Amino acid sequence: MVQTNVDRRSFIKKMAAAAAMTTAATMFPGIIFASEQVKNLNNAGNLDWKKGPCRFCGVGCGILVGVESGNAVAVKGDPNCSVNKGLLCVKGYHQTMCIQAKDRLTHALVKKNGSYVKTPINEALDLVASKMKQTIEDHGKDSVAMYTSGQSTIPEGYVASKLMKGAIGTNNLDCNARLCMASAVTGFLTTFGADEPMGCYEDIDHADYFITWGNNMAEMHPVLFSRMLEQKNNRGAKIIDFATRTTRTSMASNKSILFEPQTDLAVANAICYEIINNGWVNKSFVEKHCNFSKGITNIGYGLEDKFKFTDKPEKISFEEYKKFLKDYTPEKVAKYSKVSVKDIKYLANIYGDPNKKVVSYWCMGMNQHTRGTWINNLVYNIHLLTGKISQPGNGPFSLTGQPSACGTAREVGTFTHKLPHGVVMNKKDREMAARIWKVPVENIPSKPTYHATEMFRAVDRGDIKFIWTQVTNPLVSLPKTSRYRPAMEKDSCFVVVSDVFPTPTSDVADVILPAAWHIEKAGMYGNSERRTQQWDKMVEGPGDTMPDAWMTIEVAKRMGYGDLFPYSEENHAEEIYNEYRQFHEGAKHGMAPLEVLKKESGVIWPYVDGKSTQWRFNSEYDPACTNGEDFHFYGKPDGKAVIWQRPFEPAPEMPDQEYPFWLNTGRVIEHWHTGSMTRRIPVLHKAMPNAYVELHPEDAIKFGIRNGEQVKVTSRRGSCTLPASINERGLPTKGQVFVPFFDESLLINDVTLDAFCPISKEPDYKKCAVKIEKV
Amino acid sequence: MKRLYFIGIFALLTITTIFIWSKSYYAQQEEAYVQLAVEKGVALIPSEKGVFERSEFANDYGTMRDDYKGGRTLETYYDNRAFHGAPPSIPHPIVNELTMGDKSCLKCHENGGYVAKFKAFTPVVPHPEKVNCRQCHVPQKTKGLFRPTNGKGFPTPSINNEAFVGGPPVIPHQIQLHENCLACHAGPSAPVEIRVLHPERSNCRQCHVLNNKEMTDIGDFIR
Amino acid sequence: MPIKSYILHCEYQNKNILLNELQKLTNCEVIPAQNHEVIVVVTDTDSEETDTELYNQLLEMKGLKHLSLVSGFDAK
Repeated sequence: MVQTNVDRRSFIKKMAAAAAMTTAATMFPGIIFASEQVKNLNNAGNLDWKKGPCRFCGVGCGILVGVESGNAVAVKGDPNCSVNKGLLCVKGYHQTMCIQAKDRLTHALVKKNGSYVKTPINEALDLVASKMKQTIEDHGKDSVAMYTSGQSTIPEGYVASKLMKGAIGTNNLDCNARLCMASAVTGFLTTFGADEPMGCYEDIDHADYFITWGNNMAEMHPVLFSRMLEQKNNRGAKIIDFATRTTRTSMASNKSILFEPQTDLAVANAICYEIINNGWVNKSFVEKHCNFSKGITNIGYGLEDKFKFTDKPEKISFEEYKKFLKDYTPEKVAKYSKVSVKDIKYLANIYGDPNKKVVSYWCMGMNQHTRGTWINNLVYNIHLLTGKISQPGNGPFSLTGQPSACGTAREVGTFTHKLPHGVVMNKKDREMAARIWKVPVENIPSKPTYHATEMFRAVDRGDIKFIWTQVTNPLVSLPKTSRYRPAMEKDSCFVVVSDVFPTPTSDVADVILPAAWHIEKAGMYGNSERRTQQWDKMVEGPGDTMPDAWMTIEVAKRMGYGDLFPYSEENHAEEIYNEYRQFHEGAKHGMAPLEVLKKESGVIWPYVDGKSTQWRFNSEYDPACTNGEDFHFYGKPDGKAVIWQRPFEPAPEMPDQEYPFWLNTGRVIEHWHTGSMTRRIPVLHKAMPNAYVELHPEDAIKFGIRNGEQVKVTSRRGSCTLPASINERGLPTKGQVFVPFFDESLLINDVTLDAFCPISKEPDYKKCAVKIEKV
Repeated sequence: MKRLYFIGIFALLTITTIFIWSKSYYAQQEEAYVQLAVEKGVALIPSEKGVFERSEFANDYGTMRDDYKGGRTLETYYDNRAFHGAPPSIPHPIVNELTMGDKSCLKCHENGGYVAKFKAFTPVVPHPEKVNCRQCHVPQKTKGLFRPTNGKGFPTPSINNEAFVGGPPVIPHQIQLHENCLACHAGPSAPVEIRVLHPERSNCRQCHVLNNKEMTDIGDFIR
Repeated sequence: MPIKSYILHCEYQNKNILLNELQKLTNCEVIPAQNHEVIVVVTDTDSEETDTELYNQLLEMKGLKHLSLVSGFDAK
């Protein structure tokens, strides 16, 4: 190595200093020249690390953010977090880089004569409050709406609910989690009467089989998948991928089974048929802990405006259920599911073997389904019939896609029918909310209004005249954006958008409010395994940026509800959490106090007597079980879970002569949600610059399409032209195409269908009919 | 004598059969009992796992030439990393998009070696047990950005960090997921500036300590 | 271009005063001891003349009790 003259001088200086220090040390034994050492070590190894949860998916990894002179300069996995044990995915490692984007929203923008004018935040908030107040005076309470998010922090969701339902008195509050896990919620409620998974991620360390139902975990929940792979390599656990498309998960699994879209309903029933037919039913468990019920069939798809549906449950006997399953023998189901009889029996065998522990994982594949509630019920049926539930390594596990879909959307309840505890339809729940919120109970209306899709339909019809969106980007993420974008552009509705970056949604806003990002504010999230995670503010946000919760509070104050929001600006997140915690007191949902949350990298609820309950409904782990049996499904009044008789019903729109392909949409590992954050992270954008359409190689040959050529994907609603991808990231089955939805310039949701599950009201993004043309 | 011998063998076989059968019988009978791991507290000392991982090659590293042309330097080392500790992106075409990595990455990156096509030595992965490579490592398919950024890059650990002249340098970076020192500090793929002069001494952390802190600086010890 | 290092002994409880004085000098590196009234100074000057000048400046500092030269190099 060549040393420059400068290096040489600095070396001699070091020598000189060392000589002096050594001499000093002989004169004064034990002398310390600490500053010298510290100065030399002042570099990236010596950052301050601050604890928090990851900003992205629902896994809820613990992160440590390296902070140097007020800037976030590094991210690593928190080795003390039991979720990820120090590992992250590529999005997690680079997450804080998005806040450096040049087009960051730093000031409020108000639309004046068609162009945006930079406005002091206080003036913008004045305008929002006065507009909201005026709209209520002119058109009534139900003409204003708020649309929030599964990425809102717990305090953000809580104040939004308190403002809309408690103060203003309208149930016009829903969130993007409706598009993401509403079917999981209704699945849990109908089967168990209590929301959220009974198990936890530690199941991975105990299970013998992991069965992924339409869930590409290798890309979407990579950190959990890596934990599964570790068990596969070390213990010989097996991964079975049951999906409609060959993905990285299929490649890494021991067995990949492909099925025809929508027929998961039939296959699940066929598995139950096999379990009963072979005598694999855990009789004592079923007798003690289960009921059988059926509901209405032929329930529609919610395609028309103002669609209404209420299920009518009816108890049935085991014999009736058995008779119903006769239509679902593996031989009959194999015909239309394209799953071989052998594979159906193979799956049933795994579930039926009493000596094998099985966890089923699923996420959007089952939730974004026009029979989402049903398919959730059906997978619970399998676990209930075999008694493989609520034990370490045994159980169904519904994953989430957003960091606080559980913590905020489901637990705080930012849905039109929800309250922080219970539902608006229940008088007792309303009374509880009124007491804690200190509002008259009459304030809280007892009738749910608009769910997400219907809310934007109401904007289109002109019924909603003011809408405020926070932490979400509906004009990329809604289905059939080809209808809802023009709807939001209409003058009849005043649109307020709070966001960190400009998005297609903020493009149609009348007022854009600059939000503080994740680490620029304090907050709490709740992940898929009921883990509540707290973080403190780590760095200052730029310009006028403000936490979303504080914006809501500021608007509430300006509307005259200041008394209900007595929080301080510096500490509001903690004050709100302490108030919110009262809703969930007790053994069934007790949440950890703030001191514990600050110390730990997330704490699982129910948190009872200083201890987390890892497996609910199992009396060995769950102190809320009171019936003296091994298991107690205390969500239901009679303490029993429900095995539902749910048939197979076809999808609303099937491929036909004119539109011969299924369209499936989803995510890729590099991008998260609508890409407004991840695309602004250089590493991730460079890795995945744009969306594409995946084709089966044989279909590609038929249409003469080669890799990278432009393909127009058209449905009855709209079209989108994207480059073709053949034999790359994923491989759809013949007659199916797949498009990721993160790309705001290639909007595939212009093409998708806004049909939804009549029970959960969650749209199906995975199935509609399209045609393809080479452009 | 011969008879006794046969009887002995049969007796032995019978006993073994009974033993094996009863063992498997009881194994079947066993309840699905699960021993739960006791929750561990906060780890104060960074993991020692993998420190000696590549030490079997230590002597080979010692005898290797170290004047290769076209090796990595610290500057190029940071070309495909956002900051120190960030997973490097993949700077070359990928064999198969559909897999998560695993063997198709490890066949080169587990032990390294010269690749004539790229005129470079393959970097060695410090954590070959993590097989979902593409979870953290992504290729670069475009040079442009979605939206311009103000990011100017982040500070990197310095190399002149011995406390005293001649002292063993302190480890100036976090070692999570790269506890295995030799993977990056020895062999032809190691950046020249940080190549260790004595790879045969594989107990690195005997002399090189972490500038360690759990979350925030602990300061100096003053009584 | 001489480089020299000194050990500076301070008057009792006057180390901070001396440190402040030293901070004003541009061509020397100051390394105070944490638990003794001792400061190590490394000077780095362009020529013999400036070096002598600096030495005299050091001698006249407030709070200085005693100064001793430890090592000197003449780097060209």
